[in-house]
Amino acid sequence: MRQLLTICLCLFATALLAHDGMSMHTGKAPALGASAAFDSHGTLWVVDALDGHIRVRRSADDGATLGAPVIVNPQAEPIYNSGENRPKIAFGPHDEIYVSWSQRRPKPWTGFVRFARSLDHGAHFSPPLTVQHDRAEITHSFDALAVDGSGRIVTAWIDKRDEAAAVTQGKPYLGAAVYYSWSTDGGATFVPEHKLVDQSCECCRLVLTHTADGDIAAFFREIYGDNFRDHAYAVLRTDGQASKVERATFNQWQIAACPRHGPGLAIGNDGTRHAVWFAATDGPTIWYGQLAPGHPPRHQLAIAAAGASHADVAVRAHTVWVVWNQVSAAGYALMLRRSSDDGRHFDAPTEIARSDQAAGSPQLLLKDGQAYVAWNTVGGFRLVHTARKS
Amino acid sequence: MRYALLLTILLLPCVASAGTSPDGHRPAVAAQAAALHAVPTTTASLQKLSAQDIPALVKAPAHGARLIALWSLDCTYCEPNLKALAALQRAHPQEFALVTVATDSIEQRAAIATRLRQVGVATYPARAYAEATPDRLNFLLDPKWGGETPRVLLIRADGTRVGVSGELTPAQLKKLR
Repeated sequence: MRQLLTICLCLFATALLAHDGMSMHTGKAPALGASAAFDSHGTLWVVDALDGHIRVRRSADDGATLGAPVIVNPQAEPIYNSGENRPKIAFGPHDEIYVSWSQRRPKPWTGFVRFARSLDHGAHFSPPLTVQHDRAEITHSFDALAVDGSGRIVTAWIDKRDEAAAVTQGKPYLGAAVYYSWSTDGGATFVPEHKLVDQSCECCRLVLTHTADGDIAAFFREIYGDNFRDHAYAVLRTDGQASKVERATFNQWQIAACPRHGPGLAIGNDGTRHAVWFAATDGPTIWYGQLAPGHPPRHQLAIAAAGASHADVAVRAHTVWVVWNQVSAAGYALMLRRSSDDGRHFDAPTEIARSDQAAGSPQLLLKDGQAYVAWNTVGGFRLVHTARKS
Repeated sequence: MRYALLLTILLLPCVASAGTSPDGHRPAVAAQAAALHAVPTTTASLQKLSAQDIPALVKAPAHGARLIALWSLDCTYCEPNLKALAALQRAHPQEFALVTVATDSIEQRAAIATRLRQVGVATYPARAYAEATPDRLNFLLDPKWGGETPRVLLIRADGTRVGVSGELTPAQLKKLR
């Protein structure tokens, strides 16, 4: 019966693909899906989207003021720019600026992964290219972006080509797949994509981060068994070998739904994989744990409960920071919990910023041993210092 | 399973008949509720949902129950739920009122309205979030909800609530009764 239901759903979805008029964001204010990063000189860069244009702004004063925007894509295109599916920014070894985003295609749930680079410190950007070689009008979206220790640009995304093939063959297929690609020429071209794994969740952000060895690790929501939506971990191989994908969380949240809560991951120099993720097995909960792929996480801790969402994590030496949005009738609070003993214990939650109006997903950034939070609110972009030295 | 779901919907009127009087006539209160909850036949306009609108939306109805169908554009599981809840409402118009609420920003009005028409639920009162991110409105609607879609919130006249996340199984659909 499960198979029959899946087939029915897939056929229904396919029928809908034939006619839909999904429009791009055309509001006057930018959506709150933004990303930020420090370059090697400590300059802050913020990327977001407004009316079909990816724009990059820089700040030399830790976010107090942002410079005039530089438009990345002169020709407007529909862009996904929600908290879970937002433009990304990363830097090459010589502060080359790399930007990726998901282009919204006309049919529901469809997209292309797009990329552009600047080799002149943001003065100009290359014409955007489409990363994935597959041009079917299906989901290639929720892109993630990182640069490995060798300067390779790695991107991973949610991809529904296998789901589409299964529908064609009349076979069931739960969820989507994760595909990835990389560039060895500084973003001029990307290799044909590789499939990482089947049965990923369809609408949660992926996270890519560095391992202690300079490789790129992925952490993302995966579907196990009959719709148990836990998380998987893998180091993305770029040497032609298959990547090993292992289950890394075991909350057993069983649900046929879109959680829209992707995880966070930061790996310390000692190799400890500090992770945060969301599950609602027994009510909404943000969890912290140290991943031990194939086994339940170590030092697992419920960081926050009802009203908490969209956590991020960072690590430096023995200090671990976890931030998240906590909502109430009064608005949004940006919350922090900090550990000074490698994540074994955490301080009590502390409110470090507040917004009466909507706020996007917080993003932890490190500079000179200090932790900052990029927090994009309706009132404007903020860089919030966690106010504690590591 | 899909057949089981449809069968459940079709059988629900039989269950509902247990609430009628022995001579088969519908009680007066139920008749009034039927008038209140009649299936709308014209396309409803899409209205924004702000924080200040939520108390009225989640207030216990005078009769029967209100089904709040929470969905989003990116959610592939939402459309079967919208269809199932609309079928439930049509099968029991005297008991249920249905309101659809998109957790997407009202700025995506055109896409939301298009999808509601395609799914065949555009005749029901429809709302979409007035805030740029959904988290606060999610919490105000239902503190036990983490924002996953679809979710249905059932609010009965006696003030009791039932919240169910995910694509509804026949058993869950039956439980809404």
